[in-house]
Amino acid sequence: MLALLRFGCSRQKTTELTPQKIQLAQTWELQPGSAIAGYQVAGGLGDISIFLGGKAVFAPFTGSVQPYQGNCVLFSSDEVPAYLFRLCGLKQPQVGDVRRGDVIGAGTYLQFAALRKQPNGTWAFVEPSRSILERTLKQHQTR
Amino acid sequence: MKRDRFQRLDLKSLFKPLLVSGLVVAVLSLFLDLHGVVKAKNHGEVCQEIVQSKSTLSREQLAKLLTIPERDRKSKVQGILKAPYCKLPKLEVRAGVKAEREAYPLEFDPQTWLVILYEGDEYAGYRFSFR
Repeated sequence: MLALLRFGCSRQKTTELTPQKIQLAQTWELQPGSAIAGYQVAGGLGDISIFLGGKAVFAPFTGSVQPYQGNCVLFSSDEVPAYLFRLCGLKQPQVGDVRRGDVIGAGTYLQFAALRKQPNGTWAFVEPSRSILERTLKQHQTR
Repeated sequence: MKRDRFQRLDLKSLFKPLLVSGLVVAVLSLFLDLHGVVKAKNHGEVCQEIVQSKSTLSREQLAKLLTIPERDRKSKVQGILKAPYCKLPKLEVRAGVKAEREAYPLEFDPQTWLVILYEGDEYAGYRFSFR
């Protein structure tokens, strides 16, 4: 029973399942999640594609993962104002509150995009740094 | 019959200390786990360097900050907010651009912190962090 209690306490409470809507500053007609000729678009403008080969990706900071269109999620953190990360290609990603180093999901390919907040409230694609990608691809070791 | 009773007694004497030690371990691990959760909640990725330990943010300062758009000058934001409570570890979110983060507890809600991100001379944005 105590084991169950412990498990219950450590689960995420704030799982938001409604896909988050954000307005992109640069929009292309075809985006991840769109369909073309019966195929699903897996990546598009601003994505960096990484061959994961089924391996996992990790929360780069303590923050939250929310569903986005297609099989994409948005990662945000109170510790990193003005930025959002869009991760596409993960199978059954973990949504809700995560701590740095927690697994977000795994997949064959990861499409990663960094989005920066614009003064008009839209989100612009920017080039993510190596260190942000490394934090996402390698598990944090200090715990 | 006798043998049965003997067996039961034997089992009882064997299980009692096991039960007690199991309970002790479970309670201890629960305590340790809760301790871990509390620590993690306060920890996150917080201050690396305390700048002004008495620094807090008033409602007026917050209201003024909200009038400043992203990409405005860093000095404009710093003029309103004054010295932060602390600086968070430096980051590079965008390729080739160093980001600095400063944090302020709210005067009227000290559990809530405002985190500001600057890139060079530019103010990038803010987030509230709940501790």
